[in-house]
Formats: sequence, C-alpha cells, structure tokens
Amino acid sequence: MRVPFEWLKEFVPIDVGASDLAKRLTMRGFEVEAEEAVRPAFSDVIVGEILDIDRPAGTEKLLLCKVDIGRDVLPIVCGAQNIATGNKVPVALPNTRLADGTVIEKRKVKGIESYGMLCSERELGLSDDHSGIFILSDEFRVGDSLSDALGLADTVFDVNVPPNRGDCQSILGIAREVASILNKKVTLPSFTLVEKEDPELRMSLAVLSPDGCPRYVLRMIRDIAILPSPFWMRNRITKCGMRPISSIVDVTNYVMVELGQPLHAFDYQKLARARIEVRLAGEKSTFRSLDGVDRKLEEGDLLICDGEGPVALAGIMGGENSEITSVTKHVALESAYFNPLFIRRTARRLELRSEASLRFEKGIDIANADFAAQRAVSLMHRIAGGTVVKGSKEFYEKKEPRTIFVNLKKVGELIGMPIEREDIIKSLQSIDIPVVKREKEGVVVSVPPFRHDLAEYMDIVEEVARIIGYENIPATVPISRLMPVRQQKMSLTASLAKQYFVSSGFYEAINYGFFNEKDITRFLIPEGDTRSRCVSILNPISQELGVMRTLLSPGLLESLAYNVNRGIKHLRMFEVGKVFYKADGTDSDSEARPSLRPGTPGGSEEPHPQAGTRAYAEVRRGERRSDNEGIQRKANRCEPLPQEPVFAGLVLTGREREYFWKGAPPELDFFDLKGVLEGMLDSFGLSLEVKRSEEPFLNRYNASDLFIAGVRAGWAGELKQEVLAAYGIEQKVYAAEIDLTIVAAQGLEERKYQPVPRYPSVIRDFSFIIEPGISVGSLIDNIKAVSPLIVSVGVFDLFKREKTSVAFRVTFQSLEDTLRDESVNKLQEIIIRKLTQIEGVKLRA
Amino acid sequence: MDVKTLKEKAVAEISSIKSVEDLKRVGTTLLGRKGLFSEYLQELKTVNQEQRKSLGQAINELKGWAEAKLQELEALYKKEEQEQKERESRVDITMPGNRPLLGKAHPITLTFREMERIFSSLGFEVAEGPNIELDYYNFEALNLPKDHPARDMQDTFYVAPGVVLRTHTSPVQIRVMERQLPPIRIIAPGAVYRHDQDISHTPMFHQVEGLMVDRNVRFSDLKGILTIFLHEMFGENVPLRFRPSYFPFTEPSAEVDIGCVICGGKGCRVCKETGWLEILGSGMVHPEVFRIVGYDPEEVSGFAFGMGVERIAMIKYGIDDIKQFYYNDVRFLAQF
Ligand SMILES: [Zn+2]
Repeated sequence: MRVPFEWLKEFVPIDVGASDLAKRLTMRGFEVEAEEAVRPAFSDVIVGEILDIDRPAGTEKLLLCKVDIGRDVLPIVCGAQNIATGNKVPVALPNTRLADGTVIEKRKVKGIESYGMLCSERELGLSDDHSGIFILSDEFRVGDSLSDALGLADTVFDVNVPPNRGDCQSILGIAREVASILNKKVTLPSFTLVEKEDPELRMSLAVLSPDGCPRYVLRMIRDIAILPSPFWMRNRITKCGMRPISSIVDVTNYVMVELGQPLHAFDYQKLARARIEVRLAGEKSTFRSLDGVDRKLEEGDLLICDGEGPVALAGIMGGENSEITSVTKHVALESAYFNPLFIRRTARRLELRSEASLRFEKGIDIANADFAAQRAVSLMHRIAGGTVVKGSKEFYEKKEPRTIFVNLKKVGELIGMPIEREDIIKSLQSIDIPVVKREKEGVVVSVPPFRHDLAEYMDIVEEVARIIGYENIPATVPISRLMPVRQQKMSLTASLAKQYFVSSGFYEAINYGFFNEKDITRFLIPEGDTRSRCVSILNPISQELGVMRTLLSPGLLESLAYNVNRGIKHLRMFEVGKVFYKADGTDSDSEARPSLRPGTPGGSEEPHPQAGTRAYAEVRRGERRSDNEGIQRKANRCEPLPQEPVFAGLVLTGREREYFWKGAPPELDFFDLKGVLEGMLDSFGLSLEVKRSEEPFLNRYNASDLFIAGVRAGWAGELKQEVLAAYGIEQKVYAAEIDLTIVAAQGLEERKYQPVPRYPSVIRDFSFIIEPGISVGSLIDNIKAVSPLIVSVGVFDLFKREKTSVAFRVTFQSLEDTLRDESVNKLQEIIIRKLTQIEGVKLRA
Repeated sequence: MDVKTLKEKAVAEISSIKSVEDLKRVGTTLLGRKGLFSEYLQELKTVNQEQRKSLGQAINELKGWAEAKLQELEALYKKEEQEQKERESRVDITMPGNRPLLGKAHPITLTFREMERIFSSLGFEVAEGPNIELDYYNFEALNLPKDHPARDMQDTFYVAPGVVLRTHTSPVQIRVMERQLPPIRIIAPGAVYRHDQDISHTPMFHQVEGLMVDRNVRFSDLKGILTIFLHEMFGENVPLRFRPSYFPFTEPSAEVDIGCVICGGKGCRVCKETGWLEILGSGMVHPEVFRIVGYDPEEVSGFAFGMGVERIAMIKYGIDDIKQFYYNDVRFLAQF
C-alpha cells in the first residue's frame, strides 16, 4: 500500500517527520519498506497571474502577457491560446529548469522581449497534457512556489500491510494507526452533499444473496461531464500507483484508496430496466469484463445483474456492457460489502485480481458503505458537474458487533509484564476498540466493523502488545523444568556419518530434493524398479526439477562434473539426504529386487524421546498421547505419504590427490570406496558384507551390493561409462549409496568391554595360488572358521600373473595362556589342509 | 725397565690419533692382549721384588690414564659420528607437509550444527517431519484453511491433491504436538520447497523451526530465548529489533531483525537502506492451533519461530549469492 505523507496529514495532525513516523509505523506492524521521496521534475516554477493579454501586431499566434509574479510584473510571450486574463498559471523564470531539462532564458520572440515562459503540464512533468497552459486553481497565491502550492514535494511510504489488516489498505486505515501512535484523533474528510429530487432517474435494487452481499448502497448522479480530473486528484492517484483515467473512474479509485471502500460506477443508461440485482450465477455461462476478456462463470459466482443479465462480477470487475465511456451522462454508483469468501473463490478461479477484489477479499468496513458513496458522488459533482440525485437505494443486513471478553490479568501474564488495567483499556480505545462492559475479572470490548481480524482474546492480547510496543516488553528466560536433551537415532546417525566422510577427505554436497525424470533413464533403471517410480510434482518449475529424487548419485555427478569442468579432477564428494519412494501399497517388484527397506515415513514416527517423560498429569494423563486418535485420523484420511529414507551417497574420481613430491599418489579405485564404507560402518559398530551387484548403472566386474547384518543397504562400484557420458564426465567415477536408516536401526548399540589379551599372540603367514573365480573373501571366512583362537586374518600381498597368488597373515591369540608352538602348528596344518581341499587352491611352495 | 719410555710411547701413540680407525689401532697397540702395557706387565715378572711393587703401580696408573684417555676420545668420536649422521638427515622444512586428507562440511550443515548446539544447550531437542507433507499439516492445522488469503504468501508445489512439498518446517510443530503432551521444547531443521526461482530464491532451501509449549510461557520468554540465540549466533553486540507481524499460526506474531552486519546500521543496499536485516519470524502459538491438536489454550501457552538457514549462513559468512549453496563448487566448500 502506497501512502502519500501529505494525504495522511489530511486525516490526522502529524507533528513528527516522515522518517520518524515510518519507523514508528514499522514498530506497530506496518513495515514501511521504502520511503520514496517525490520531487517535482522542474525547479523554481512559481505561481503567476495574468493581468493583461495583448496580441502584438505582425504575429499570428503569439500572445504577450503581463504576468504578476508578486515581486514584479513581467512581459511573457506565450503561444498557447487557452489563457485568459485573471488566470493563475505556472511561470518559469530565466534559469528555471523544466521537466525535459530545458533551461529557460530571457529571449526575444519576433522582436518582443520575453522574461520567462508559461508552462503546460507536460513541460512541468505532471502529465502528458500539452494541449495548453496549465491553468491553476484560483486559490493559489501569486508568487508562491508551484511545487509547494501543488504539494509536489512529498514522501510516499510503501507500507507492507499484513494480510489480516484489510482495513489498512486505505489512507483512513493507516491514519487510524498513526492517530493511535501519536495520541491524536482522526478527522474524516468533510464535504457537503447537495442533492436534488429527481423524478426521472429511478432504480430498483434487489439483493437475492444476502449471504454474499450483506450491504449494497446505490446512488445516482446525472448530467456529468467525462473530463480529465483535476491535477490534485490525478497527482494523488498517481502517487498511489494507479493511472488516472477520467473524472468518474478517478473518483471511484480515489475514494477506494482514501476510505478503503471499492466503488463501481455504471453507465445508468446501459442498465436494462434501471434495475440492479445481486445474485449467484445459476449455471455455466460467459461474461465479457470491461477489459474485453470473456470470463467463464460458474454456479455460485456472485453477480451484479441489471434487468436482463450480468453487468459486473461482484467486487472483481465490471462488464463491458455497462462501463463508463466518454459519452456517459448519468452514473449509478455501487458501494457494497461483499462476502470475502465469495470474492476470493471467484477471483482465484479466474486468476483475476483487481485493487477492488484484493480489498473485498480481506474484508472492508461494512458500516462505511454509505459514507463512501456520499463522498464519491459529492466529489463527482465537484469535478464533473451534474446533479446528485437525492437519496439512495440500499440493502443492509445489519449484524450486532462482535464482543470479546478480555481477562485483564491474563493479558499481562501472556505478554510477560504487569500492565495496569487502565493502560490496557486506553490502549484499546486508541485503536477504536471500545469497552462495552466492565466485569470483575476483566472487560468486554466491542470489535469495530472494519477489524475482521479480531475474533478472540489472543487477538486482543496482540493489540495490547502492539500498542505498548514490542520494544518495551522485557526479554525473560522461561521458567520450565529441566529435561535431558536426547538426539534421535536417525539424526545422530546422519551427523556421525557426515563427520566420518569429512574426516576421510570428502566434500559435502547439498542438492535439490528433486531431479529430472530423465536421470532415471540416464541411470538405466528399468521400468518396475522402485527407483523408476518417482513422486511427480504436478506444477514443477521445469522438467529438470520435475520429480522427487530416488537416487542421490545424479545430483552428485552433476556436482562432480561442475568441478571437473573447472579443473578439479581429483575429488571425493558425498551427500547425506532424503530420497523419495512412492508408497503405492503392494509392491510387486519388491521381491524382484532386494528391498532397500526404507524407513518409516519421514523417519518421524519414532516416539519422541522427550515425550511427556514428565507430562502434565493435571492437564492430561499419560506420556505419549493416548487421546490423539481422533486428531490424527483427520489427517490420515489421505493416501499414505511416500517413504523418505535418508541415504548417504559417495562419489570419488581421479587420484587420492593430484600429485605429491614424494611419489605419485595412486589412482582411486573400488577399494578406496569400499574402505570408506567399511570404516564408516565400523564407527557404528557394524561390519560390511558384499555380494556381486547387478545394478544396471555399474560396471558389474567392479561393483558390489552392500549388506548390513544380512539386510541389503545399498551398492558401490564403478559407474558405467555411458552413465557418466550422460553427465559429461569422461574420467572413471566410483560411486556408492547406502541407506542410513538401516545403519541407524542396526548400529549405535552400547559397546561391551572385551578383556585385553594378557598373553602374547602368534603370527603365521600363508601363501596360496588360486584359480580365477575363487574369492579371497571366502578363503578368509574359511580360515576364520578353523578356530576361535584365530583373531584376525589379513591379506598382505596379492599378485596376478597367469595365476593369482595371495598371502594371508593370521594372528592366533588365546585369552587363557601363551600359545605353544605345537598347538599353532596344528592349526596351521588344518588351515592348509582345509584350503587346499578347495578346488583351485594350492599352497605356494 | 723404563717406565718413562713407556709413558713417552703411550703419549706419542695417543696424540697420533686422528680418526676412529687410529683410535682402534692405538687401542690394540696400547691395551690389546699383546699390546704395550701387556708387554710391560709381562716384563715386570722379571724385575726384582723391591722394584716390582712401585713399577707395577706406575705402569697400572699409566694404563688407567691411557684407558681413560681412549674412552674420552671414543665418546668424542661417537658424538661426532652422531652429529654427522644428523647433518646428513637435514631436510628442507619449507617443503609441503604430507597432510592427511580432509574434506569439508557444507556451510548449511555447519549452520544447522551451530543452531542445534545453541538450542540444545537451552533444552531444545531435534524433531523431524516428512518433506512430502499433507496439506492438512502444512496449512490447515496451522490455521490456514483453504481459501485463506495467507496461502498466497507461499507458492506451493503439489504432488497430489492434498499432498504438497512442505513450504515451511512448521508442520513439524503439529506432528510433535499430536504425538506428545507438554512440556515441549523442540527445533525442527530441514529442507522446504517453494515454487520460486530467481536471483534471490532457490526452489528448495532450509529452515529451522522451533516450538516451546508449557504452562505460563510468555511473549517475553520468546524475546528472551531468541535474544540468547541471536547473540550466540551473531555476537553479543548485534542490535535486535522485535516488531509486530502476521502469521496465521501465531499470535501475537513478531518479526525479528538484526542490525545490518554489512553497514553497521547506517543503511546500505543489502538492508535496503533500513539498517536492519529480517532474520526470523516468530510468535505465540495461536489458540486455534492448540485447539486443532487438542490442547487447551486456557491451560498451556507457547511460542514458535522459524528461520531460513541459507539467509543466516549468508549473513554469518558474508555470502552474497544464494545459488552458491547449490553448485557444490569445491572452491566454495573449501572455504568453510
Ligand atoms: Zn546495511
């Protein structure tokens, strides 16, 4: 809402500066987002009076005027013909700068000395009107600065009016707040309404939907002239961000801004049977609004009709069929209160928002409709002539004002400071909320009809706090009982995993929760795979952000490509974030693909540990609520929400680092990836199990599925070249994704102490030659199974020529005594026997 | 038998020592089994009784002296040798060190972490809720019924009728209150989504929601808790401003500004010449919200607040482009 300071001053005496007032309005909840200084486009133009006009001989169109400028009388030559003796006009003296930058000089026109210039509105930058000299109102004083006289130097506040304060979408509304801030009273604009009985102009009014239109006032004015409105009105309308059109339309806009009452002017002669009928649309039809667009009407739309059919979409826009034109003679003026819900519904559906509908939607002052109509017709009479027809047609379904009981003690308790009873009452009265009844505990206040936002005691508490000023309310520390702060397993898991990855050299990426549906095909995910059925966004910003992600890797690859393209080719990145799986009940392919066992929806149904450990038994019994079934049922009538498990995604590429002077760092590979995953899981007390992976986007010879305690938790491996190519990456990339909801569910068990061995351990090395196809992991398992005395089996060498040779280091350890050579030798024999029994395994000589 | 000659010989030998090799040789020559002293002591047997004692004493004294001298020299050479080795191990300490690899956490994560630290020290726990949320939780239960004008304030992504991408973290308030009874002190960090993409908006961003419900929670407590938080986050001296605002689910509502950290309150482009930066929205929980979750607003009261994490991170770290958070440019990430 744009509020010119000079206009505001008409409503309330303001004894502080504009900036000061702006700050105080902001602290009242009306944030002044900008204080715009409005300055005239010209300099030093003054008001002059034409004393005499002469037509010098030998010139055709030139007039020589004698102009009184107060301190002097000057001869000024003028080409325009619309002036007369006695006119007050703007005078630009030498050295004055006009709107277009021209600087006036003393000059000779056809031999006649001219000491300045009389100006048109366009030359002063006031409008596009260049039809003649700008004739000023007689009230202006000769010699005064034109800028001051017209009130051109002004400050316009751009006020961010809260959506619940429709009443402040007007100068009057803001003025009420200003009056309360400055401890002043608001004065309404004064005018005298001169009416005349008119036997000819008669209208009939019928409101068939009192629900949609509880008040409708109709007034008429005849024989008006459609002209441009005077400068002062155009100036204010322009400052408020609207465009002046013509006298009648300008008045409706002017009064709307001034009083907050939207008005609509009909061309009386276009209203069939001189009738206005407010009713609901019965069935679908179309209606051409005054902007020339055909609007589709639906049953229930609130319409203004004449004797034949619709002439306006109530409160939103008038119709082409009844609009004011340059030949309009008589005007029927509507000043109504429309039900906000009706206006909002239709305006929203039609995507048609006007200054009027925005105000109706928020609720206007029903009590003010007739005053606004009177104000408008009197202004019309003043600027467009004509005769105001005596009386009005009116429908008004009056309602009792709402009352609210305010417990005065509670007001102070809720705000957090003691407030005197009388201070509360005075505060409320300063914003027109009167006390209608005093009781022992508190008072009953009456809500003024323009305050649609006040419904219960908390609304009144807010008003009191606002008027006292938030800056005057103390900052206190709550009085509450101490409770241990616990961290939920899922968020703890995510945060520990992040820390592990960061300390392992990974940079953290954060990507959007949505991706391109094409990412699914780029990752070669087959139809039927859980990850191919994304949650789609019905109104996406673009196709690239069209569906919720089911994988973290596409985003990570984009981040990787972004960096590689900028020369960073040796890199590890990770992301910990949610993926989204559609929750459509029976999952036929959940068997085809080992389930990733996503977590509970949103991971949020875990009982909150703080839950009522010390719940208020007096308020309600029990810890977790037992009374909430009905409440939750209300929400859960919808389809189940998608699942949102939290995953960790990893990508790594290039070398461990680009170079190092002690020797070339090795290329990163599958085992760097696997090692990080093993280490991360170990930090949660879990171990990683792997199986060959069939993930379609992985090089299957360099890829594994990941398992935790037998549950599939993800995958890891080298991404296929064709997948990488889709993201513009030409170098090898290893990637993994692991479901942290499984880690959270399985890990973080309390650790139990194991005695530290008191006896020395024995180490033996073994070397075997193995055929292709024999997995080292299975040999390790075989060795471990030989005896509980074997506490670790490591691989310390592996080399491939025709055959693969692998060397194990086995540690034997007893907690009871020192192992003797004979017993270790025995175990050694068993190991060799057991392994060489496997086909394709031979002891290396 | 001439001890004097022995002494002269021994002195001559010892003074001839110029190297570790000399030392070894002289050691053998003088003190070896067939060395000079052995020779003299052998010879001593042939000397008569009277002289034997005094001669023997003199030879042994001399031997002791030679042994001590040689040991001294040995220690000296050992030390020199050690020093030589150390000299040879000299490195150029200005060469780059071999750093263990370290990655970096995203500044959003760091900001979350800092906020969680502060609030957890004030007794607030972390709670979470789904990103894909029911319209009911995102709007209706927050006193934003269908057709409410304030719904226009947030451009919503829909995934199904009645199902949205949450536009704020406020629905977590409702989910928590549905599950448990007061006292409640939670914060809810997470991603939120709005249909908005331009120079200062990304379609996804992060928020932290807070909620405290108890008996006798006052508006002044909201001021107190948020003052503590903002002073921890931005420093004790940052000016704060609480001013009335409007949110459908709080009343009274307050917008909180901090003094502009760029211009120090004088007014600049970043603060739109006001000297203040909007940092969070807050207010007392609206009684209608309590009624919706089945709490009695006569019995309990509470406050809630919500803030944009990107905005806080931008102010804290001086980042001027919100898009930087989502490029994941290592040259950006490495700075934090
Ligand atoms: Zn600033």
